[in-house]
This record gives sequence, structure tokens and C-alpha cells, in this order.
Amino acid sequence: MQQPAGVEPIEQALHARFGANSIYRQFTADGIPTFWVERDQLCPVLSFLKEQVPQPYPLLLDLTGVDERTRSHREGLPPSDFTVVYHLLSFQRNEDLRLKLALTGDEPAAPSITGIWPMANWYEREVFDLFGIRFEGHPNLRRIIMPPTWKGHPLRKDHPARATELEPYSLSDDARDFEQDALRFVPEEWGMQRESENSDFLFLNLGPNHPSVHGVFRIALQLDGEEIIDAVPDIGYHHRGAEKMGERQSWHTYIPYTDRVDYLGGSMNNLPYVMAVERLAGIQVPERAQVIRVMISEFYRIASHLLFYGTFAQDVGQMSPIFYMFIDREKVFAIIESFTGARMHSSFFRIGGVALDLPEGWDRLIREFIAYFPARLDEYDRTVMKNKLIQRRTMGVGAYTTGEAIEWGVTGAGLRATGMGWDYRRARPYSGYERFEFDIPTATKGDCYDRCAVRVEEMRQSLRIIEQCVNNMPEGPYKAHHPLTTPPPKERTMHDIETLIQHFVNVSWGPVIPPGEAAMTIEATKGLNSYYLTSDGGTMSYRTRIRTPSFPHLQMIPLMSRGMMVADLIAILASIDFVMADVDR
Amino acid sequence: MRWTLTPADQAPNPRPGQTTYDEAIRRNVMFARLEDLIAWGRKNSIWPFNFGLSCCYVEMATAFTSRFDIARFGSEVIRATPRQADLMVISGTVFRKMAPVVKQLYDQLLEPKWVISMGSCANSGGMYDIYSVVQGADKFLPVDVYVPGCPPRPEALLEGLMMLQESVGKERRPLSWVVGPQGIEKPQPVSRRDLKQPDRVQATELRDPFHLK
Repeated sequence: MQQPAGVEPIEQALHARFGANSIYRQFTADGIPTFWVERDQLCPVLSFLKEQVPQPYPLLLDLTGVDERTRSHREGLPPSDFTVVYHLLSFQRNEDLRLKLALTGDEPAAPSITGIWPMANWYEREVFDLFGIRFEGHPNLRRIIMPPTWKGHPLRKDHPARATELEPYSLSDDARDFEQDALRFVPEEWGMQRESENSDFLFLNLGPNHPSVHGVFRIALQLDGEEIIDAVPDIGYHHRGAEKMGERQSWHTYIPYTDRVDYLGGSMNNLPYVMAVERLAGIQVPERAQVIRVMISEFYRIASHLLFYGTFAQDVGQMSPIFYMFIDREKVFAIIESFTGARMHSSFFRIGGVALDLPEGWDRLIREFIAYFPARLDEYDRTVMKNKLIQRRTMGVGAYTTGEAIEWGVTGAGLRATGMGWDYRRARPYSGYERFEFDIPTATKGDCYDRCAVRVEEMRQSLRIIEQCVNNMPEGPYKAHHPLTTPPPKERTMHDIETLIQHFVNVSWGPVIPPGEAAMTIEATKGLNSYYLTSDGGTMSYRTRIRTPSFPHLQMIPLMSRGMMVADLIAILASIDFVMADVDR
Repeated sequence: MRWTLTPADQAPNPRPGQTTYDEAIRRNVMFARLEDLIAWGRKNSIWPFNFGLSCCYVEMATAFTSRFDIARFGSEVIRATPRQADLMVISGTVFRKMAPVVKQLYDQLLEPKWVISMGSCANSGGMYDIYSVVQGADKFLPVDVYVPGCPPRPEALLEGLMMLQESVGKERRPLSWVVGPQGIEKPQPVSRRDLKQPDRVQATELRDPFHLK
């Protein structure tokens, strides 16, 4: 990790302020400074890191929990039944930091940090919902992912993982009504008044099935006429238990699940996962594999942005663009399909490389696309971006500043649209991004229009990257020759029995990844996507934490839409570019 | 019921003065039994409800766009309310939290209504044998057609739609209260695997990837 010169290491700063005894450093495979703090010191340490330390950590990248009760490799760690993990990011230091809080007992409770980061609200609710950890001082601690009628906390180790371990599912009319009643929005539970001095408020339920909420997502709106007084987003309708799934699939067989977290980003989602595993296992990826990964990721970025662009135009009232953009999307898919064999979920990356080498003549379709696509983008500029109606409906709507964006955990194009040119691919190059020339598009106003404009320009930059990949594709292996790559190298297995046994065990049980913890973040299609893996020295991950960008983005909806009209809310939703699979995982 | 379309340039045009009574009748009058006519109408105007759950919906939406063009099958009219639709495509994973909503929307569709289960998750839970996922839409809905795949390509959905159309065209429902059985007569479904297996085992060549362009 590159760290700018002249920065005081954070460990010294923490010890100087809080004393060397109270903060305990843990070493992790990813090299991110990781500290265990005492319970009563948590809030002071966090506010110190957020506001007082020179070159502070303003972004709360992630907040999650771990059920430690069945973990065997805990050498040198403080005793803990449940651990709450806080992951911070400093732009100035270009460094991450992890804080851990140990909790004991079956009904653990931690202090809430919503006073320091209001955005911790949803994260703490999620940890409460999935782990049963209470947060003292949280303004409204209730379930967020699971239905309100759910019993138990799914990410606890003693909660059944499989649906087939539970009662067979059935849904009678009575059960349907019971569940629907439980989902009914009650304004009082959210501290809302039903009327003001002058008017009775209307509560409008938008979703979870509505064409403009982009998937199974629901917002309860408090309206005064057409004006939005407040909004309560309700998520959890798309929870596929991806994190729990990681605790039961082998390191290799989990890869297809990562595709389906943000299902518009396809194999790009494999990247943070496989890179985190590679960090844990110490695998070096050959250059050719890295370039193939970059190329495929950028194609998926284009595919995802095209879908965003089209639905954005459609939500604001244009019919045609989406039809044209889907044709371009088909061309992207044709390319992806020609070397991965699949369209949306190609699961093409492997631990240590990619699944296959590029086929003969692989560059032909790509070169045709590079020649074809820029003119199409120009045409879309004329039909969408220069359209007065689109401009009127989106300029000045849903705007926020860089400060607000960071405060609420906004990353990706939503952050860059506020004028901050911070891109993970440039700040912390991974998979060889440092070797590519590309610009980081920004805009200034941070409104719906700017968020779209940034993404449009990003497609042009992605195309530039792809062109460099095609022109400079290195020769060499497409997968590392490391015993833990999956699948392991086959060549020598027919020559000696030892290698054959290793290959057999590695393919059937899967590789055993050394115990440890590692996180890896990438600049995904929608913002920062991060996998934080804990290995207990087994064939499966002990804990798989997926930090997805859309989750914090949705939390910002009330802030962005208060005082706006319902039609503006639709434009705001369209401009966020979220996917519910990315929110609920 | 038999019907044909004749291209304009090949039509045996009745020329001025030569129009025969038979020809005019053949081209303008159709005899059919009422229930055949209704089945034919239903078959060719299946309107899907604008409903989707996850990844599969993206492929379903792709089927609506010009490359695939579901309009060719009379199904381009996606309705935003269940009251105006007669087909619900369960495209994507059926979540425990969402299932009651799906059921309620299904109940609001007007009869006659059909369900296509699109993709592995909707068919069986797919790779998500997990606490939050219902192991198949047929746990609480009657499903007419299952489309396999994860996600199925748009063409696969279109084939599913054609299969449904075929079945709807053969379906017979009582049109009114009459003496006799009141049930719906549905054709026996045929396994596509059995139907296509002979052709598939014949295949000796894989297609060139450039056919995709």
C-alpha cells in the first residue's frame, strides 16, 4: 500500500492519545492497521480518528459483526464471543484502518456510534438483525433485512443456514395476510406525525414492486400534497444470504455467488473476492491474468453503466434510449460470451487467475466494438444529455456536497459527481491498473444530472482501458502455478502420485486457505465493493463480509428527497444507480 | 381453427369485374367455434405483468428490447397493475420477505392467469438453499412453464412464452355456467428434454463464437 511520505503512523498517534495499553494491535494478512479497543474507549477513539487526528479518517467504510464462538484459530486475540468491526478510510493518508470491539455473552450490546456517523444507523440495524447485537443509544433499533416476524439472527453460527434445514415453506392466505400486516408501515414507529397544523399528511407506499424502484425495494413516503416531507426506505426484500453462504461453500465454489451480488457487474464482483483470498494465501497473479481481469471488468462496467443510462432516461420520461442502449449492451455481452461462455454471470475469475485463456481471434469483436461505440455515445449525448427536458428534470435535483457524500458513505460516481476525483483504481491501483492511462471524470454540482454525466464519461474511459488491454495483452500463463489456486495446475499430476493426490483433494474438498483475515476493495460499477474474509484454516471461509456500495447510497434517500416532489424522487432513485442484490446481498 | 396470412403481392386479387362470391367470403368471413376463437385470442395476447425480482428480470427486460422483441408474440404490453395483466413471470429469486407480496399480486391478477417461473431460483431456489429464499415459486403458486437457466437467455424466456402460448391455445375453459364439468382442460405438458434430445445428440459441431455478432 502506498502511503504518502511524512504521515505519522496511526498507531503512534493512537498510543500517544489513549495510552499504549488500551489499544491492542492485531496483524492481518492485508496489512490494514487493525486495533482492538476497550468498550468505553470506542466512541472517543472513533471521534478522535474522524475529527481530531491529523489527516483524519472521515469515511466509515464498513461496520459489521463476527460470531467468534466456534472459531479455533484465535491466537493472540482478546477473548470475544461477538466482535463488532469498524472499517475506516482516510483519503489524505490513503490508508484504511480497522477497529474491533470484543463482546461477550449471548445478548451482547455495544455502544452506538450513530452520534459520530449518522450513517452508522443502517449498519448497526443490520448487525442487530443478523447477529442479535444490541446497540445502546441507537435511535430506532429494529430489523432491517429480515422480515419483522423472523425468529433468530441468521448470521449467528447456531442459526440454520439452509432453507432445507427449516420447515418446508408454505403460504396460506392467512399466513400471507399475517406477513403483509407485519410489513404495514406505521408512521408512529418512525416518530412521524400524521398531521401538521395546516394539513393531513398522506402516507404513500412505493414498492416493493414498482417499475421505478429498480427491483424489490420499498419506500414509505410522508407527503404533503405532492411534496415529500420524509421518506423511509425499506430494504431486505432481496436478501439472498450471500454472507452466510460463504461460510458453507468452499473458497472456490463461492465465486459464482459473488457474481450475483450486484448482478449487473458480473465478473467484476469476483475480483475483490478472489483478490482477498489471494492475499490470505499469498498468491501472485500472472500479468496476463491481471490484464484479462481488467479487460473483463471494464466491459462489465460499460454494460452496467449502459443499463443505468437507459433506465435513467426512461425514468425521467424518454422511451427510445433504453432500446438503443440495450443493443449496445448486447454487443458487450456478445464479446464477453465469446470468451467466457456466459452473459451476465460469467464467474470467469479464479483464485490465482482466470478460468480459461483467451480464445484464438479474441480481439476481433473487441476492435469492432472500440470503433463502433464512441459514435453511439455521442449520439446518446445528443438524445439524452443535451435534451432540455432531461436537464430540467435532473439539474439541481437531489444534490449533495462532497462533505455530505463522505459523511454518508457515498463512493463511486456519486462521490465524483460532487467534484472529488477519487477513484480506487487510481488511489490504490490493483490488478495492474497503475499501468493504464485513463482519466477520472468528475462533475461539480453533485446533482442527478452530474451523476449521470460522470458515468457517461466513465464509459469512454473504460473503452480507453480496454483498448490498451487489447493492444498490450502480455503473453504468459493465465493462472498462477501456486498449489492453492483453483483449480490447481493439472500438468504434473500424471507424473507423480503426490501431485495427483494434492490435485484430487484440492478439487474435491477445495483448497485449505491459511488462517487469517484479509480485505480487498475495488472500484466496482456503483462504488466501493469490499470483501473482508476470515479464514479459520479450513476449506471454507469462517466469515465473509461483503461491503457493497448501494447499501449506504440508499440510506441517503431521505436526505436527498426531503422537500422535493414525488417525480423528483423518481429521478433521484434513477440517478443513484443501485441494484437491490447489491444492497441486501 | 385454420387461418392464413397472404402477402399483398401474392394475393390472388379479385380483379375488377372478376370478384367471385367465394373469394370474397373466404377472405372476409371466418367460421369458428366460440371457444376456439377465444382460446386463439388469449393465446396471441398474453400480457405480462411488469414484475421482476432479481437478475432474471434483467434478461426478461432484455426480451422486451429490439434485439429480441417480445412484441412478435403479442406480449409487448407490459402492464404496471396486475388487474390488466394475465401473465406473471416470476423472474428471479423468491425471497421469504417478498413471497407474501408476490402472492398478493398473483391473487390480484384476473382470471384466466398464468405463471412462468423463470430461472433456477424461481424454479427450485437454485444455488440459494439458504434461510431467506423460498425453494421454488411453486411452493405457493401454480406454475405453468419452467424456464431453466441462471439466468436464462432472453431467447429461453421467449421459448417459454411460446410453450405457454401453445398450451393456452389448446386450453378449454367453460365460457359460462353450463351443465357438465366445470374444470379447465389443459393439454398434457411434454418434457422439452425428451422432445429435443434426439436433435441434440446429433450435434457434432459447436457454433463459431462470431455468430454472436
